[in-house]
Amino acid sequence: MIALHLPARSDADAPFVTRLAAARSADEAESFCLSSASGRSLWCGMHGLFELDHAREELIGDILLVDPGAGRAERLIRAGSRHNSLLVTEQCDQLCLMCSQPPKKAHHDRFAHFEAACRLAASGSVIGLTGGEPTLHLEPLLAMLERLLGDRPDLAFHILSNGQHFDAENVARLTGRLRTNIVWGIPLYAADALLHDRIVGKPGAFERLTESLAHLLTAGARIELRTVLLRDNLGTLGGLARFVALYLSHIEQWSLMGLENIGFARRRWDDLHIDLRTEFAPVAAALDQASLHGIPARLFNIPLCHIPPAFRSFAVASISDWKQRFAPACGRCAARSDCAGFFEWHPDHLVEEVVPL
Amino acid sequence: MEGGLEAAARPERTDVRQLGADTSIRARPCGDTTLLVDRAGRFIRGEPALAARIAEGALTEADAAWLRARGLLPGSELERLAFTYARERRRAAPGPLDYLILVPTLRCNLACSYCQVSRAAEGAKGFDWSDATLDAVRTRVAALTAPAIKIEFQGGEPTLRTDLIAAVIDAVPRTVEARFVICTNLQRLDDDILALFDRDDVAISTSLDGPLALHARQRQGDTPAAERFHANLRLLLARYGPGKISALPTINPHAPPDVDALIDSFARLGFDSIYLRPINYQGFARKRHPASRDAGADWRAYHAAFVRRLIARNWADRDKLLEESYFSLLLRRIFRPGEDRHVDLRNPNPVGRDYIVIDHDGRAYPTDEARMLTRSGVIDLAIGDVHHGWDTPARAALEAAATNDGDPACEACAYQPFCGRDLIDDIARYGRIDGPRGDTDFCRRHLHLFDLAFELIHSPDPAVQYSLRRWLGLAGETGALVAP
Repeated sequence: MIALHLPARSDADAPFVTRLAAARSADEAESFCLSSASGRSLWCGMHGLFELDHAREELIGDILLVDPGAGRAERLIRAGSRHNSLLVTEQCDQLCLMCSQPPKKAHHDRFAHFEAACRLAASGSVIGLTGGEPTLHLEPLLAMLERLLGDRPDLAFHILSNGQHFDAENVARLTGRLRTNIVWGIPLYAADALLHDRIVGKPGAFERLTESLAHLLTAGARIELRTVLLRDNLGTLGGLARFVALYLSHIEQWSLMGLENIGFARRRWDDLHIDLRTEFAPVAAALDQASLHGIPARLFNIPLCHIPPAFRSFAVASISDWKQRFAPACGRCAARSDCAGFFEWHPDHLVEEVVPL
Repeated sequence: MEGGLEAAARPERTDVRQLGADTSIRARPCGDTTLLVDRAGRFIRGEPALAARIAEGALTEADAAWLRARGLLPGSELERLAFTYARERRRAAPGPLDYLILVPTLRCNLACSYCQVSRAAEGAKGFDWSDATLDAVRTRVAALTAPAIKIEFQGGEPTLRTDLIAAVIDAVPRTVEARFVICTNLQRLDDDILALFDRDDVAISTSLDGPLALHARQRQGDTPAAERFHANLRLLLARYGPGKISALPTINPHAPPDVDALIDSFARLGFDSIYLRPINYQGFARKRHPASRDAGADWRAYHAAFVRRLIARNWADRDKLLEESYFSLLLRRIFRPGEDRHVDLRNPNPVGRDYIVIDHDGRAYPTDEARMLTRSGVIDLAIGDVHHGWDTPARAALEAAATNDGDPACEACAYQPFCGRDLIDDIARYGRIDGPRGDTDFCRRHLHLFDLAFELIHSPDPAVQYSLRRWLGLAGETGALVAP
């Protein structure tokens, strides 16, 4: 695992955002390294000196939020990673059966830091915004995006949202760069309203989601539809595929995702998890329905050797670098570099179940 | 009864009988059932009585629920928007010019009986691009803005002027991803020609009419020439494999080759995709094959037999997948809104926008068929020239009519969302574009093709479903394409 939070020491009065540079520069937003030895590095910038419990090399170019009070630094945007995402809030108004990041009541507003970090991001960066449910704070979120994309039209955002809060008014703000440079990752688990509502733990969620999807379609917003494969919805995937083909053919991608053994899914694993090595047929039928109607579908978080050969081209090496794991036997697999592998927290006994290709 | 205007102005959709009057679902018999298709191209088979109730605007509550569950009766806001989106996505919206057909010379070293272009003799003068025309072509090519383009060299025999081909290739901007196709009769190969063919961005297209004897009969009856062609084709196949080369048969519908013999002659060479074309009612073909004007029924029967034979062969030998490429295109258009890059089958069919033909004399035509028709002296369909462009009244006049919208026959047709409009074909056959659409060869041919497609789509035969799935590029080999 790549560490995202580093123990840090700083005498600054308040948390600050800075980009770590190899050498001193005129850029006030940058800090440069004074020394680095035995897993520690000392940095200097506008907010004084600070020390990180991490060697210098892997940190160059990273954008950090240094929190002196908490004694830690958060690597908000790591240089060269395609998987940077910012946690907008831990609040959520759904309670999904398999939630990987169970919601919390309190909200700590960090938009100012996120905005500062995004302004320092490399040209052309794609930055994820996640939660919790980011659109619970839609007003400050959109305001931040309007300012950022006004100044940095090269940036793009991928925002995970449950689609419970879009209306005609807020969607009207998704114009210009806010339309072209944002992809909304929105989950839909079933075409059957009651089943979807049960999976997301919120009565009426499906109805509200389809309302939001209509508003987003009107706005021409870019949408990645996401469906986690569960014991509960496996049998109804065909109906969902038909629903997507009929009513959501404008989406950019339909992502079918393997279950993550974390959060709520951890204690419900045996009830929720599907062994795709033996139960791929409904997924295959759904992928074929999608292809038939020209819907670009992809498979996420599933190792290639668990997928029948004809369907491997749908798989994406999707698991973020900082939480990716392989089995020892994967070492001799020819397809490893194209493979999602497993989540770091995948059940140990299941990680071994691989067939090197 | 209320007037149409009043009914349209009232957005409430509570009365299901009124819903029925408003659905714009069109019907077409399909076996014992009726195919119901909405204007977004979503379809379902239903009882003929249901089709009648739709036509009368007399849907029952149960009918409405049944149709809505199958996507043919939008209810919610999302469903209505999705319908509109899918319907509009089926309308061709041309991007920037990205497909050029260039004719650097009209001269040819063959004189085939069905030659569609009134070719010029190999030694004739004045049938190649002038220096000024070449300069103008290069200027246009250098100004292309599309990210990816395709340039097809036609003739005449374009390999008589490899220097002109190379000069065009050289003019493509570095930022543009270009693919080139050289359409050749393969009578002659030399180092210059092979040097062009060797390029990774060059593909080769040729005519292969089937077995050698037939090929010779249709090509000036010259067996040595046909043998030369076959030897060169085999040489290129050995050098590049079949992926770089495409071969097209031209079929005389009144004396077509045996289906299996034709398929074999392609499959043996490694060609899996066969674009079955009837002799075009163009050029020399107008004089030497007068019956080709109404090739209709024979052609349709031959085509259906051909497709059914492909299905049987694909099922018998799963290692080899054969297809008729136009039929595959039709299948894709049925299921996938937005599949409209084929310029003979889209609606509307924009003229001189994303696609242009530049002749040996620098004149610009909307299609190769328009060029042939002009060369045959039937009608001048040039829309401009390479020097001054083609944003002309002639282009506008053609474009205004290049649609199946508003035609009474097309508006009543269930297949309209999938179909297109080929003005030039109507002009070639009938000398007019305003005749009853249902009487045109284009319409009859496509009715046949869509009837066949929908029959096969709903076929319970696993062999049929297998081929259809493969033609549509689906990963899975089994299962029905649509709910029964």
